Amino acid sequence: MFNKLSIRFKLVVLLGASAAIALLISSALTLYSTYVTEKAEALRGLKQLGEVSSENLRAALAFRDAGSAQRILSPLHANPQIVAAFIEDEEGQAFSCYFAPGLSEEKCEQTRQAARATLGAVQKRNNGVELATFRHLYVMQPIMFEGTPIGTLSIVSDTSAIRVKLTRYIKSQLMISVGTMVILILISIPLEELFTRPIFALLTAMREVSRTKNYAVNVQLTRQDEFMDLCQGFNTMLAEIRERDEKLSTLATTDALTGLANRRHALEKMEEMLARARRKHEPLGVIMLDVDFFKHINDTLGHPVGDTVLREIARALSGSAREYDLVARIGGEEFLILCDNADQETTRAVAERIRARFEDSVIDYGDAQQVRVTVSLGVCSEVPYELTVEQLLKAADAALYQAKESGRNRVEMGRVL
Amino acid sequence: MRRLFFALLLVLISTPHLHASDMERRLEAVFLGRFANYIELPDRSRSRFVITLIDDNPFGGMLDQIYKDKTIHGKPIEIRTTTRVREIGKTDILFITLSTTAARQEAIDYAQRNGIVTISEARGFAERGGIIQLNFVGQKTQIKINYAAAQKSGIRIGAPLLSIATVLRGGES
Repeated sequence: MFNKLSIRFKLVVLLGASAAIALLISSALTLYSTYVTEKAEALRGLKQLGEVSSENLRAALAFRDAGSAQRILSPLHANPQIVAAFIEDEEGQAFSCYFAPGLSEEKCEQTRQAARATLGAVQKRNNGVELATFRHLYVMQPIMFEGTPIGTLSIVSDTSAIRVKLTRYIKSQLMISVGTMVILILISIPLEELFTRPIFALLTAMREVSRTKNYAVNVQLTRQDEFMDLCQGFNTMLAEIRERDEKLSTLATTDALTGLANRRHALEKMEEMLARARRKHEPLGVIMLDVDFFKHINDTLGHPVGDTVLREIARALSGSAREYDLVARIGGEEFLILCDNADQETTRAVAERIRARFEDSVIDYGDAQQVRVTVSLGVCSEVPYELTVEQLLKAADAALYQAKESGRNRVEMGRVL
Repeated sequence: MRRLFFALLLVLISTPHLHASDMERRLEAVFLGRFANYIELPDRSRSRFVITLIDDNPFGGMLDQIYKDKTIHGKPIEIRTTTRVREIGKTDILFITLSTTAARQEAIDYAQRNGIVTISEARGFAERGGIIQLNFVGQKTQIKINYAAAQKSGIRIGAPLLSIATVLRGGES
């Protein structure tokens, strides 16, 4: 259930729960402390009363004047908490007693017996005894005469005043707690935004990236805390993905030796150019180039020289082609040049320019060593209403074959049949 | 015969109640010492605190038994008995069991002159100038104190004792 909650509600719940636990612990400790303090205070007051009363009762007990003792005890009714007071002589015989007004005889006897039972166990061990139970406080004070105990005064007080005070405290604490909780929840709503805003910003960016595959997204935060680190980490991760994608894309579309487009990429681009030409009713020029006697170069000068030759041809083709043309290496020593919006004449002119460039130059390799290379080119240019890539390539390839057959170092035009 | 009857009746009326139970008698013996604790006597340079019984000794050996090795106001206690007022001598408490009013009055007058606390069970003792009259009625103790007589004798009586006693403050001395 909790796991299904939004982080926003989780934060509010956590703040509320933390506050509630803190309030509960604080209230419980304060309540306990108040109870202990109140009980100690009440016992202290009762003990003082016992000391004063026992002093006043000394003469009455010394001269066995129960009436006077009764008279001395009677003001105890001013304290409604005092339930009973008993005087016993040195032999433990009842001498005089006081009971709170309205207390039934049965209740009086019960209280007396309870007090005797409670205090009796410790009476002999101590000169004065004070005990507290949940409902009653007991104080037993010896009545001394000339340093000798001649009897005891026991006072029993109920704890209703303490309990009433504690009940009142609990009620007020409950009201304060409820009020505090409401205020905390109201405060926690804007507070949770401090935490959730950066999280939701990242979440939104992540969803955007997932939907659009656009890794150029950049999340901006003005924070200086861990959220800033998280945001920077997210942006760095996106940048690394972007860089990796670019590398993968380059690897997938580029010929490693020459840096030109590879065959697969060239065919994909050719599909796009064909579709555009078809849409615009423009011609698409296709030039296929093959290096003459390349096998002989490889065999006699070695593959490194062959690679050098291929790289130089690629550089020369890139320099000779128009800016918007595509140059690709589609085989060992075969190259493809796609000329956008180029009719037969233009395409042938481009092809001728390429052929002438190689015819008039040499390629350097090694230490001041040179090799002369010529190329054969097959050209095809059509407005490709219903033509396919394969048809155009086949036509250009056929023209290339014808150029090879006709003695190489030539440009031949082909047509789609 | 009629004379003899009235004489006997008079004797019975004027004689203190000497029918106290052993318990009461023991309490009375204890009270003699306890009274002393609430009483401030005129300054005397005696080494002992003296309790004198005049005429009968209703306590027998009880007083000696109770006050043996005890002290009052830091002094060891001495118990004396006598039958004549002129033989009372120097004492602090005088317990009077004299049977006639005239004899008791003589003893009271002697005590007042010498700052002695007088105690008796005789009826009307306090009204006639005795300082402490002690009676047992049923299970209860009754103490009557003639405060004016005490003051006249230079004796101060503590408030706790006064608080439980019937106090005569003037007129009767």
